[in-house]
Amino acid sequence: MADIEVSGLVKRYGDLVAVDGVSFAVENGEVFGMLGPNGAGKTTTLEIIEGLRTADQGSVRVLGTDVRAHPAAVKERIGVQLQATALPEFTTVREAVELFAALYRHSRPVAEVIDEFNLGEKARSFTDKLSGGQMQRLSIALALVNDPDVVFLDEPTTGLDPQARLNIWEVIEGIRRRRKTVVLTTHYMEEAERLCDRVAVIDRGRIVALDTPWRLVSEHAAGTTIEFELVPGLDADTLRRMPGVERVAMDGRASVTTKAPEAVLHALLDPHAPWVASGEDRDGEGAIRNLMVRHGTLEDVFLRLTGRSLRE
Amino acid sequence: MNGFRAFRALALNEVRASVRNRTALIFTLGLAVLFMVIFGLLFGGNGLSVSLDAVDNDHSAAASSYLASLGHVKGVTLHTKTHDAAFTDLKNDSVTAVLVVPRGFGAAVAHQGPPQQVAIYQASVASSSSAISDDVVAQVTAGFAGGGSPSVSLGAPQSATVNQVTPMDYMLPSMIAYIILFSGVNYVAIGLVEARVKQVLRRFRATPVRAGTLLSAQVVGGGLTVLLQILVLVLVGILVFQAHNYGSWLLLIPPIVLGTASFVGIGFLITSVARTSESARALAALVTFPLMFLSGLFFPMDALPSVIQTIARILPLAWASDALHQVMNDAAGFGAIATDCLVMAVWAVVTLSVAAWRFRWD
Repeated sequence: MADIEVSGLVKRYGDLVAVDGVSFAVENGEVFGMLGPNGAGKTTTLEIIEGLRTADQGSVRVLGTDVRAHPAAVKERIGVQLQATALPEFTTVREAVELFAALYRHSRPVAEVIDEFNLGEKARSFTDKLSGGQMQRLSIALALVNDPDVVFLDEPTTGLDPQARLNIWEVIEGIRRRRKTVVLTTHYMEEAERLCDRVAVIDRGRIVALDTPWRLVSEHAAGTTIEFELVPGLDADTLRRMPGVERVAMDGRASVTTKAPEAVLHALLDPHAPWVASGEDRDGEGAIRNLMVRHGTLEDVFLRLTGRSLRE
Repeated sequence: MNGFRAFRALALNEVRASVRNRTALIFTLGLAVLFMVIFGLLFGGNGLSVSLDAVDNDHSAAASSYLASLGHVKGVTLHTKTHDAAFTDLKNDSVTAVLVVPRGFGAAVAHQGPPQQVAIYQASVASSSSAISDDVVAQVTAGFAGGGSPSVSLGAPQSATVNQVTPMDYMLPSMIAYIILFSGVNYVAIGLVEARVKQVLRRFRATPVRAGTLLSAQVVGGGLTVLLQILVLVLVGILVFQAHNYGSWLLLIPPIVLGTASFVGIGFLITSVARTSESARALAALVTFPLMFLSGLFFPMDALPSVIQTIARILPLAWASDALHQVMNDAAGFGAIATDCLVMAVWAVVTLSVAAWRFRWD
């Protein structure tokens, strides 16, 4: 039995359909990602599963229990980090952990939780004096204070600097090592690729694709893209005739997507090629400048599936 | 039972957070103390004092004893003068009244002559202090005449009356009522709106805690904070401003608890109308400030037009203020404040039930 079973979820706000028939299952011990731009319906879906909102249609079972029928029983066994965590005023980090520990039938020792999330130094600080990264660590610590079986993290790294983001990623990898089931939302494809076993790509309230990051990329954004500055004497047709080429774009930079990147690179850099010879005559440097080779990413998957970028 | 552990933790957190909130303390406890200082400066520490001149036409031991007992009344300054000197003082407004003890006073007291009347002369304007001097003299005289008893030596007035209540004595229960009103409406109730607006309640909703547990912890935690503030206020009032409680300390508990509960409830009603915490604050100020002046906190309600009195008497502040003043100033028993307590209890039950029924997490 899956830890989370969602079927046919629909949530409307007036004319807007925020969640439009979402179904998926999350297995025990899995880190499940929901990737999509702002307003795609990720948070609404997550909050219906957490029991914070009620769906207009569909059903949710968490750990075998119907959320709508028994919200308190489900809440005992899940941990929740909301997108914007607000805590009571004039409360220190330690007091906040103590307070939330008291709200559950079973909870972990407060000192242990504070240590695990590296909050010892800040234990006596008021929560509104924490940095973004510290606040996020506390927020995740509070989600784990009841030693839950399933943890929900809503955009855990949004708004953090790269260093703090890396730190939160390590925290989440620690949760995964403890065999917790994790559901997280994000609009950072690096985050989904690094952390998630499976990713649901969500757009306009629907799941447009659901698979492991690796399979999503190989299915929807296969091939390697080679980019470089435009070179005189090298036109789109020449590029299209190169081995395994699927797509060529020439807007400012040349961009060639191919299944055979090694062969294309070889052809491009061939010293006998006319554009290389004329280029070297020009100024003695290599003809192909600012060369960049990159693999397909979830960003490309999203672009391919929806025609829009994740950051739009 | 997990519910109680959650309740205790939430209530404790509420008390701790309120005590750390300095701005809130300034507006409640701080302002209450400031009001006492202002009224103390306005009226002087000794309360309503009256200055009297006496003209003794009898020169008997009984007359001296009578005047001495008047002079011992707290707040009364009495000088024995000649007739002319005394009436000059009265014309110059340097005394409130002149008493004339008639010849034959001593004989009358000893039942050896016809009854005699002490005459009291006041400046033409009827002021509150002249009314008080009337009262004082009437009582002392009545006590002295002693209901037919010939014994005259006991000159001191017996009853603890309005006359002994200093402005500080009056202000202390008023400021208790003020703290109940202001904390209940502005901090406990609006605190809950802020927690909702800032989505603190949403975070709690993601835990198994029940709405009833959260709401009651908020009310009880807020109530404990109010009690702590009252404790400090009473200590400051007694030690610094020499205020008195003539009544029972225990009897103060019902009006304080019921008053707090009803103001928290009213605060919840106000805040259920308001969408943002700013509009809730504005609305609360609109209700609390006029109420303070109309409910007998700074001057007795009798001075107000009867329509306004009627309106003020619908709301619980007038009842809270009445109960607290009766206990602390008049040493009233529970019978005298039972109606006050009943009215506040009805307010509390109705408003808190509505609040529980209309509770929203977000």
